[in-house]
Amino acid sequence: MKIVVLLSAGRHPVSGAPVLPRMEAQAIRIAAALGEAVGLHAGPDAEAVREALGLGLTHIEHIAVADGLDPVPALAARLAAMAPDLVLAGRRGQGGPESGIVPYALAEALDLLLIPDVVAVSGGPDTLTLDQSLGRGALRRVAVRGPVLATVHPDAAAPLAYAFGKARRGTIELVGAAAKATDVPEAVVEERPYRRRPKLVKGAPTGGSAAERLKAATGEGGSATKGRLLVEPDPEEAAREILAHLRQIGVLADASKSAK
Amino acid sequence: MTSLMPLTTVFPGLVWLMAALALVQGLRRAALWRVGAAAPVAWLDGLAKLPKRYLVDVHHVVARDAYASRMHAVVAGGLLAASILTALAILPPIAGFRPYWFVVALAFGVTAVGSLLVGARRYPSKQKRLSAGRFQILPFLLVAYAVGGTATALLLAFGIGGVFAPLALALAAAGGLGLAFEVRHGPMRHAAAGALHLVAHPRPGRFEGRPDTALQPLDLDAPRLGSEMPADFTWNRLLSYDACVSCGRCEIACPAFAAGQPLNPKRLIQDLVAGLSPAEPAYAGNPYPGGRQAQGERGALAGLIGPDARIHPDTLWSCTTCRACVEECPMMIEHVDAVVSLRRHQTLERGALPDKAVGPVTELRQSGDPGGRPLSARTDFAAGVDLPVMAERGGAEILLWLGEGAYDLRYGRSLRALIRLLREAGVDFAVLGAEERDTGDLARRLGDEATFQALARENIATLAKYRFERIVTADPHALHALRNEYPAMGGRYTLAHHTAFLLELIRAGKLNPARLPDLSVTYHDPCYLARYNGETEAPRAVLDAIGVSRSEMARSGKRAMCCGGGGGAPVSDIPGERRIPDIRMAQAAETGAGIVAVACPSCTAMLEGVTGRHAEIRDIAELLLQAVEAGR
Ligand code: SF4
Ligand code: SF4
Repeated sequence: MKIVVLLSAGRHPVSGAPVLPRMEAQAIRIAAALGEAVGLHAGPDAEAVREALGLGLTHIEHIAVADGLDPVPALAARLAAMAPDLVLAGRRGQGGPESGIVPYALAEALDLLLIPDVVAVSGGPDTLTLDQSLGRGALRRVAVRGPVLATVHPDAAAPLAYAFGKARRGTIELVGAAAKATDVPEAVVEERPYRRRPKLVKGAPTGGSAAERLKAATGEGGSATKGRLLVEPDPEEAAREILAHLRQIGVLADASKSAK
Repeated sequence: MTSLMPLTTVFPGLVWLMAALALVQGLRRAALWRVGAAAPVAWLDGLAKLPKRYLVDVHHVVARDAYASRMHAVVAGGLLAASILTALAILPPIAGFRPYWFVVALAFGVTAVGSLLVGARRYPSKQKRLSAGRFQILPFLLVAYAVGGTATALLLAFGIGGVFAPLALALAAAGGLGLAFEVRHGPMRHAAAGALHLVAHPRPGRFEGRPDTALQPLDLDAPRLGSEMPADFTWNRLLSYDACVSCGRCEIACPAFAAGQPLNPKRLIQDLVAGLSPAEPAYAGNPYPGGRQAQGERGALAGLIGPDARIHPDTLWSCTTCRACVEECPMMIEHVDAVVSLRRHQTLERGALPDKAVGPVTELRQSGDPGGRPLSARTDFAAGVDLPVMAERGGAEILLWLGEGAYDLRYGRSLRALIRLLREAGVDFAVLGAEERDTGDLARRLGDEATFQALARENIATLAKYRFERIVTADPHALHALRNEYPAMGGRYTLAHHTAFLLELIRAGKLNPARLPDLSVTYHDPCYLARYNGETEAPRAVLDAIGVSRSEMARSGKRAMCCGGGGGAPVSDIPGERRIPDIRMAQAAETGAGIVAVACPSCTAMLEGVTGRHAEIRDIAELLLQAVEAGR
């Protein structure tokens, strides 16, 4: 089975030192247990991901992409050529220039199925069984056929220990450079320094017994278990359900109220 | 008279034959050491110093067991003297001189007494720490050789021949040749390998009166890192393991063994011995606790570590690197070096750290602190205390190294006490603050030499920016790394442990403590201060200066028992039957002291964590501060 792990240049959340994002290290552990895995990195400098060689990969392919350029077209082209059975990525960036949107952009470009928040993968190469985290420890097992792109959830098994000797022996190969400068998709996000905020539990009963409030806060009977499972719903119906849910958890304003 | 002539030749001839057999057996074994890696050995120097190393250094350790010491002096001295005297009698003028044979008989007689002493340790029942197996035959061989030798020499002295002579000679031959045969696999190997080991010891500094305890740096460009199989050790290390006499002194000193964790240093060394040669007889001592007895592959190229190999990884990770085994070993074997060398291979080449240790070592590598905490938070413990920072001052007389303990709430109290004492004494000091990284001690003990070296380089670069005369630290692990291990990385500093520094301040009259005679205190020696640095007096002198009533635990000073906090053992957390700190606190309770004085953040944390303890845990600095405040 052919596995590719997407690697990015991350930063340590506390020290700011250049490190491989933890979720990518976890992805490597999943990949290494399944078979021969190759790392793929697009960026100005492959040294940023050399650490991955000590964490379970033996080979990394590097596509030189200058700082500030969109890596997605180059990655998509390379992945199309490699035709892997499984592509693993972290579910979000970690302090570096990349973000969690890259796997989605790649899935779209390659017309690949994307399974988010995976904690374990088994089987292969034809049928893969993926355990998907629904949060708060709840898991859903999905079986899929054919090539798939999965993002790894932090609840996956902890990364392997770094082995300096293996890192020394691993190889990094320059497989190409971004053909032409493509525009980086316009930043649609606003950046602000992180500030710790109290966690609001939407819809938690303000009254009731302590046990009830605890139950609401710890998610027993929370969204993960309370939701409705719709199998292959009609798009209209699915959209209505999503909107209703978003209103319920307070992300969207209540239609009845905003109408006034 | 003519019938005696053959005996005067045959008897010395027997000793020459024994020597030849011992040589052959020894060379057969020595051939195996040649698979080991090369090592620099100062042969002439070692040879010249052999008598001193044996008579002073080895004897110093052996003498801790008075019985064993007397036994060994008598039996080994007698055996050597009797054999050499007999061998010399190959010269006809000596052989014909009858009084000479009286002297020989006397020497054999002494050997016989020693042989009985050897036997008394094993029969009717063997001391628990000793190994059985071939060692159980040893007293018989010794008695046969000694009694046969005595009888033959007496016959020669009195000039009696007849039927007794061949009988006595046969007895001596059976014992003597048996002993010589045992040089390859049996108990007598310790004599040959032991002597050679003293000459070619990998840490000759040990014999020069200074603690030679720094781990040797690993060349990170070497083709293979650490030791995976016997052939990865240097030849003189292989030789050193062969010197093991299976006395079990290391075993009864080992805290991990006492706690029922799967480690027995004697068995570990014997596994390294047996791993080298498939012909080695079976191990006959106490097993690894937990009852694991895997045999695994053997041979110079056989892997030593693994779930099915001779040494289970848990055995390796149980070690606290306390050096108690090294301190007690009469054969001067370096167990900790062996453990770390094997760990280096596991960690660097295989990434096979114990699960629980992966997090701290990763954080250490990525952020310079095993807890992944911001380096700037290291000084949070001193909130409200004026703590000068080097970056603002550029220099100070004393650089105060805080260490990892600074992040710990409990230990912060000890550090605050130390800082107040320094202020009180008007010491010009500063800390590195956010620039201080971990010394890398934890990474190094767990085999991650790459991370240690990286951290050492960064710290050395930081220290190079500032002017200071000395580094003072309350953490013996940091002290050991900075004082003994950084020089090999290019950083040379003068270090003082806070207990030694505080003693200086008291003696200089800068601190004037009152006396606290109501406190009953017993002092727990940190391994990294006492055994690694030989400092046992200063902390006691400080306690005496404040006049507490001080009592000693049965194991104290350089022979103290570990708290369980070193060598990454707390993060590896290999399960046992008991916990090491519980055992140590029980030993402290035996003294009846109300306070256990400590001088190390790891000891503080380990001993404070003991449930149901009655004694308080107080750092020396805290006690001194109390005395100084009482004196105002
Ligand atoms: S260093 Fe300490 S824990 Fe390790 S084997 Fe020796 S006595 Fe046991
Ligand atoms: S290693 Fe040393 S202390 Fe331990 S059994 Fe062997 S000779 Fe004795």
